[in-house]
Amino acid sequence: MEMQESMMGRGRDAIDMIVDPESFQENTVGAQSFDDPEFGPGAVVGTATLDGKTTTIIASDGNAFNEKFPVVYAGIIGMEEGYKMAQAVYASIAADADKPLEEKRALVLIVDTPGNGPGKVEEIFGMNKSTAAYQLALAEARLKGHAIIAMVIGRAISGAFLCHGLQADSILSLDANYGTMIHVMPLTSVSRIIKKPLEVLEDLSTKSPVFAAGPRFFYSLGGVGALIDNVDGMRPALIERIAEVQKAKAEGKQDTLGPWGRGALGAERGGRVARPKIIELMNREFAAVAEQYAPAR
Amino acid sequence: MTNWQNLQPRSFLEASARDRAIGLVDEGSFTELAGPFDRVTSPHLELLGDAVAFDDGIVTGIGRIGKTPVFVISQEGKFIGGSVGEIGGAKMVNTIKTAIDFHDDLVAKYPDLTDEEKPVVVISFETGGVRLHEANAGLLAHAEVMDQLQKARGKVPVIAVIGSKVGGFGGMGFVAAATDAIIMSEFGRLGLTGPEVIEQEMGKEEFDASDRALVYRTTGGRHKYIMGDANFLVQDTVEAFRKQVAELAPLPVADFEAMRRIGSPEKVENQLRLVALAAEMQPKDAVDVWAKAGNENAAGLLDVPFAEFMSTVKRLSV
Repeated sequence: MEMQESMMGRGRDAIDMIVDPESFQENTVGAQSFDDPEFGPGAVVGTATLDGKTTTIIASDGNAFNEKFPVVYAGIIGMEEGYKMAQAVYASIAADADKPLEEKRALVLIVDTPGNGPGKVEEIFGMNKSTAAYQLALAEARLKGHAIIAMVIGRAISGAFLCHGLQADSILSLDANYGTMIHVMPLTSVSRIIKKPLEVLEDLSTKSPVFAAGPRFFYSLGGVGALIDNVDGMRPALIERIAEVQKAKAEGKQDTLGPWGRGALGAERGGRVARPKIIELMNREFAAVAEQYAPAR
Repeated sequence: MTNWQNLQPRSFLEASARDRAIGLVDEGSFTELAGPFDRVTSPHLELLGDAVAFDDGIVTGIGRIGKTPVFVISQEGKFIGGSVGEIGGAKMVNTIKTAIDFHDDLVAKYPDLTDEEKPVVVISFETGGVRLHEANAGLLAHAEVMDQLQKARGKVPVIAVIGSKVGGFGGMGFVAAATDAIIMSEFGRLGLTGPEVIEQEMGKEEFDASDRALVYRTTGGRHKYIMGDANFLVQDTVEAFRKQVAELAPLPVADFEAMRRIGSPEKVENQLRLVALAAEMQPKDAVDVWAKAGNENAAGLLDVPFAEFMSTVKRLSV
C-alpha cells in the first residue's frame, strides 16, 4: 500500500474536497448563525451543498487555538466546541422540522480530533456535559431521520471519536495509507498501563481486532462501514452513502444503522461475536420473568 | 444471598456492585439477568491470560420499587476498575434496550398504565470507562449506550447513582451526564478526565492527583451538587440512595426532562452561560466558583458536616 500525504490537521481542506465548489458557508446552519469568531474556534460548523443538496458540515480546525480555554488546540474538542457542534445539530433539526423524511438535510462529520479538553477548569465546569450534549443532539437528529455520515480523515481518538463520529448512521474512513488513526490509546501506552509486554499485544492484535489501532481493525469490528483509499473517493462515497442511509430510513430499517447497526456489522465481520450471544441470553432470561414485573390487574 | 435488611444501613461507598443492585430495589425483588451462574466471561481477557469475572464486572437485572419495575445496571470497581468491555458493555446496552421494549409492550397492553407502573433504569456507576484490554469493543459499546439513552427519552427515565470508589470517568462520564437525573453522595466523583490523567497532561503544578481534597473539590459530590451537575446529594448509605430513587421512580417522564442538564437547545444555551462564566472567571480552584455562587464560607464547605452543608449551601445559577 503506497503511503499518501496525510490529511491530519486539514479538516478545512477536506470540506473543500467534499462539498460542491464554493458552496460552504461557514457559521450558518438553518436559522442559527455563529457570529463570534472567538467562540469555539476549534469547531468548524456550517452549511454547504453536496451534489446539490443542503448539508450540514461539522469538522475540527487543527490549526485553531482557543484563547479562553488553552487546552483546545490541534483539533481538540473543548467545552465551547462541543456545545457549538451540538447547536449546529439542533439548528439542522429545527430547520427541517416540518419537512418529510426524504427532505431532511444530511449531516457530514469530518473527523480529525485527538481528544477532549483535559484541564482543571474543564473538570470544574463539567467537560463531560459538553461532549455528551453533542452526542445526544446527534442521536436525536439521527432518530428523527437525518442521515449522518462521519468521514474519518485523520485522528479519531477515544472519547473525541465517541463524541464526534460514533453517533453517526454510518462511518467512512480514509484507509491506513493516509496514516489514519482510530484507537482509544496507542498499544505502547496500553502495554504500560495494563502491564503486558508490547510484543504480546502486537501478536494478539493480529488475531483479535479489539486490541489494535487503525481503520482496518475498526472495519472488522463494524465500527467503520467502508474504507476509502483515495481522497478523491471521499465525495462520491459520501454522496452514495447518504443516499443509501436515506433509503434505509425511508424503509424503516433504522436498526441497521447507527451504533446498534454497527453491532450487527461487527458480528457479521467476525470482530465482535460475543456481543450478540450475551444479548440473546439476556433476552431469553428476561422473557422468562417479564410477567412478574408487569402490573397486577 | 446478602440480607437486604442488613444492607440498607451499610456504606454505599463500600458496597459491592451486586449488593448495590439488590439494595437499591425493594426487598427480594431483584432478578439478575446474565448473572454469574451463566458464566459469560470476556474472551479477550482470556486471550491475554488474565483473570475473568463470571459477570464481567457488571451486574444487570430487574427489580421493583413499589409499583415501578426498575432495571438496574451496577458496575464493580474491584474488577479491572469497573471498566467496560465487549460483554459488560453489551449487558449495559441491552438492559436499557430491554427497559424501552418492556415499556412499549406495557403501554400497548395496558391502556390505563400509570406513570408509576412504567419502568425506569438505574445505573450505579463505578468505572473509568473503556477497558483497555479490549478497548475498541469497549468504545463501540459506549456509543451504543448513548444511543439507547436518547432512545429512552420521553419513555423510560434513566437515573444515575454515583457514590462508589472509582467514581464515573472517561466515556462513562459522558454517559452519566446524559442520564435524566443524577444522585450522588459526597464520596461520589464524576468527570471526564480522571485526576491522574490531568496531572500527566498538565503537570503536577496544575493538578496534583495525590491531593485528595483537591480531587474532591474538583469532581466530588458536594462540588457537583453546587454546580447543578448532581440533582441530589444523599448520605453514604444504601438506604439513602434507595429512598431517593424511590422518590423519583413514580414521577412522570416530563418531570425527568426538567431535571436534565443537557439534551435540548435550551439546556445547551444554559450550559453555555456557565462556560462563559468559566472563561470570565478562569478559576484556579473550585472554591472560587463556590464563592461566586454566594457561599460566604466557601473554603470551609468541604469540611462542614453533611447536614449543615445541605442546609446552608448555595448552588450556582446563571
